This record gives sequence, structure tokens and C-alpha cells, in this order.
Amino acid sequence: MATDEKFSSIRKGLLEFLLLRIISADKVYVAEMLERLSATQFATQEGTLYPLLSKLRREELLDYDWRESDAGPPRKYYKLTAKGRTQLAELNRYWKRINTTIEELGHSE
Amino acid sequence: MNTVITVNLNGNAYQLDEQGFESLRAYLDSADERLAGNPDKAEILSDIEQAIADKCRRYLNPHKSVVAAADLDRILAEMGPVESETGGSAANSERQRMAADNSQSRKDAPRRLYQVREGSMISGVCNGLAAYFNVDVTIVRIVFVALTILTGGVWILAYILMMFIIPDATTSEERAAAHGEPFNAQQLVDGAKERYAEFRQQSARWHEGWRRRRQLRREKRAAAAERAFWRGERAHEDVGYATRVLAGFMVPVFTLIGAALFVVVIIAMVSLFRTGGIFDWALPNEIPVWGAIVILAIVYQAVHMPLRAASRASYEASVGQRHGWLAAADGLLWLGFAALFFWLAYLFIPEVRSLFESVPFEWRHPLDAWHAF
Repeated sequence: MATDEKFSSIRKGLLEFLLLRIISADKVYVAEMLERLSATQFATQEGTLYPLLSKLRREELLDYDWRESDAGPPRKYYKLTAKGRTQLAELNRYWKRINTTIEELGHSE
Repeated sequence: MNTVITVNLNGNAYQLDEQGFESLRAYLDSADERLAGNPDKAEILSDIEQAIADKCRRYLNPHKSVVAAADLDRILAEMGPVESETGGSAANSERQRMAADNSQSRKDAPRRLYQVREGSMISGVCNGLAAYFNVDVTIVRIVFVALTILTGGVWILAYILMMFIIPDATTSEERAAAHGEPFNAQQLVDGAKERYAEFRQQSARWHEGWRRRRQLRREKRAAAAERAFWRGERAHEDVGYATRVLAGFMVPVFTLIGAALFVVVIIAMVSLFRTGGIFDWALPNEIPVWGAIVILAIVYQAVHMPLRAASRASYEASVGQRHGWLAAADGLLWLGFAALFFWLAYLFIPEVRSLFESVPFEWRHPLDAWHAF
């Protein structure tokens, strides 16, 4: 529980990064994102996801188009924009640097 | 038999029972509140509604056309509270998230020190402190009584000062701020109901006899307000907390200045009577003593009036109306200050001392003079 709390702000910051990664792989809709995240430490809910997605869209990192679904109303399928791809590449590099730093400093048990 | 309410969720019609409808509305209201200022608010809300609609569908089948309250609660728990994007998080468990959320908004709401009149014994100082430090008011009262006994009564002066300095919580927001509670519509309604019941009880019990007199006093005051041009506007409604603290602080300061002024004038008057001058300064020959006294009285009035007006304005900015307790306390404070200044003047200004000693014995000791008869 303690570790969980300690890293909650890190998870908060990383959620955006993870979303960009998920969306970069394929066009996805919200229920899929939630499902992919649900099994991880980054499990989240619609109440968090929708505002975050709209923020990313406002930053022009992603966009969506409507697509008919077999069951129910049309859904928003999200995809990365060119700007989103550049940013994701940057974040990937940054994340690698962070990982290297963590491993270089001290030894893990 | 239960009432069914049909709702339109982003273009999808669903039937909910009454309880479910209430919780849905509370959820969407809070979402609306948290997204305030978000440029994409409308879009996010319709996404949310759509998501809820999709989930509702799961709970319906050809034999069940109404989404029950329990179903809806499950749906809303699944949705999770809508977070503004700055607070966007990926907390794991619902409970943890809710707890964090609560403490967050609790922290965000500024807690301020107010006098809380509801359920107070005197003025609400203890009540306000109890709310501020989140302890039982009885404990605060016991501490105050203990302090009063330990300090030989001096603590009462501290209480009186606090009565002036700490603003009254007069609006619902202020009352909420006194407890440090986030303020929202539901609390407003609950609080209003509670206060109304309390108010009715109280007014029945206490205010019956007072009402007529107070009404009379209020009318008189209103008439006086029209006449008194120096009183300035009643700015109480829209002054901020800081202004009110300052105003509350200024009331005793004005009282102090007023008392000091009074003492100076009285000493000057006595000096005029006894020596025909004010201490070393002798009256010019052309002014008789009575003339000097009249001039002194006029000067005193001229200085005293704006001071009193300023004091009254501070009073109104701080506590609104001048109610009995505070007015009485103000008078006591004035008397205390005046006595203190007389005593200080007697101790530290030799002229005053000699003046006092030059006063005939019978003046100084009226009781002895009385016995001598």
C-alpha cells in the first residue's frame, strides 16, 4: 500500500505517455483503452480518461473519427497526429534515459 | 410500485427509478462542477453520458426495461468520478481514489476562522475555534473557562477582543469555510434545512420578546442612518474576509483612541478649571475660562465625531449589525481603556499627578466626604 501511494503521482504522470503508446499501435476506442490498462498498475476509469483524452486532443497530439460499431451507436476511434508521434518518440527516448539512470544509480535487490 | 423517470443520455432514452435518477443527477452535477472552465466540457459530458448509456444497455433485456438504482450505482462506480484533467490520475482502487478525492477537495477549500453563531453560548468564538481546529466545542469552552480562572479573569478581555476581531460567519459559504468544508449545492440545501429548523426553534424561544424592541431600534437606526452623512455606505455585504478581519481589529483600536482622547480632554478640562490654563500653557487674557472650555468641547466633538463614524463603519463591516453583546462589550472596553489611561497618566505624568492632588479632598474621596456629613 505504501509503495502504491508513493508512486501514485508517477503513475498519474505516466498515464498520458501510456495512452499515447496504446493509441500509436492501433486506432482504438475508449473501452479498449480501459481494457488494455485494466490488467496493469495503470487501471483507470472513464471519469479520468475522457477529460484526459480531450486535453490531449486540445494539445493536438491525437484526434478521433467516428466509426459505426456492430452493436450500439457509433464510437470515437482515437489516433495519433503527426505532432503526437513526434512527442511520443521524444517521451520514449526520455523514458529510456530515466530507466538507464535508475539502473546506474545503486543496485536493485 | 415505484415511479420511473425517463432520461435522455446523449440521445439515448433510458428508464430509471427515482433513486437511480437522483444518483445519476448527482454524478453528472459533480462532473459538471469539476469540468468548470474546461473548454471541452460539453464534449466530455456527452462522452460520459454516452459511456453511461452503453453501460445501461448491459443491464437491460427484453424482460427488464428499467435500470435499477443498484445497477446504476454499479455503473457509476465503474465510471469513476470525473476528474479535471490537471488532477487526472490512474489510482487503482475506487476507494483509494474516492478517499484521495475527498481529502483533496477538503484541502482545497480554505478553512478560515469565523465566529459561528449557530449553537453558540455567547458570541460564537468558541464555536468558531472548535470548527477551525476540528475539536468538540465543549473542549474549547472548558479550556476557555480554565484560562479565565487561571488568569484571574483577564482571559475574558481576550474573549472580548476575539469577539471584535474574528468576523461573523454570516453567509453559507463562510459557515462552510469555518469548518473547512468544500461548498456545494447539496450541503447548502442540507445546511439551510438544518438552520431553518434551528432558527424556528430559537426564534420561538428567545426572540419573541425582543422582536418588537429590535424592530423599533432598527427603524430608529435607519432614520439615523439617513441623517448621518458621515457614516458612509454599508459595505458589509461585499467586503472580503481580510477587510472584515481588519475592520474587526480596528473597532477596539478606535475604542482605544476614543478613550485616550476622552481622558486627555477631561484632564485638560480639570486643568482649565483648577489653574486657568492647560498645564504650563496659560490662557491668553482675552479668552475667559468658560470660553476655553466651550472651545475645548467643540474641538473634542470635531475630533470625536469622525472617529466614532469610522468606528461605526468598521463595526458594520466587521459584524454587520450592532447587536447587544458586542455593544455592551465595546462600552466595557471603553471604560477599561479610559480607567487604564487615567491610571497611566496619574503614574507617569507629574503634572497630572499634581493636578489630581490639587483637587479638593472631597472630590477625590467622595465616599469619605459622604461620611463626613
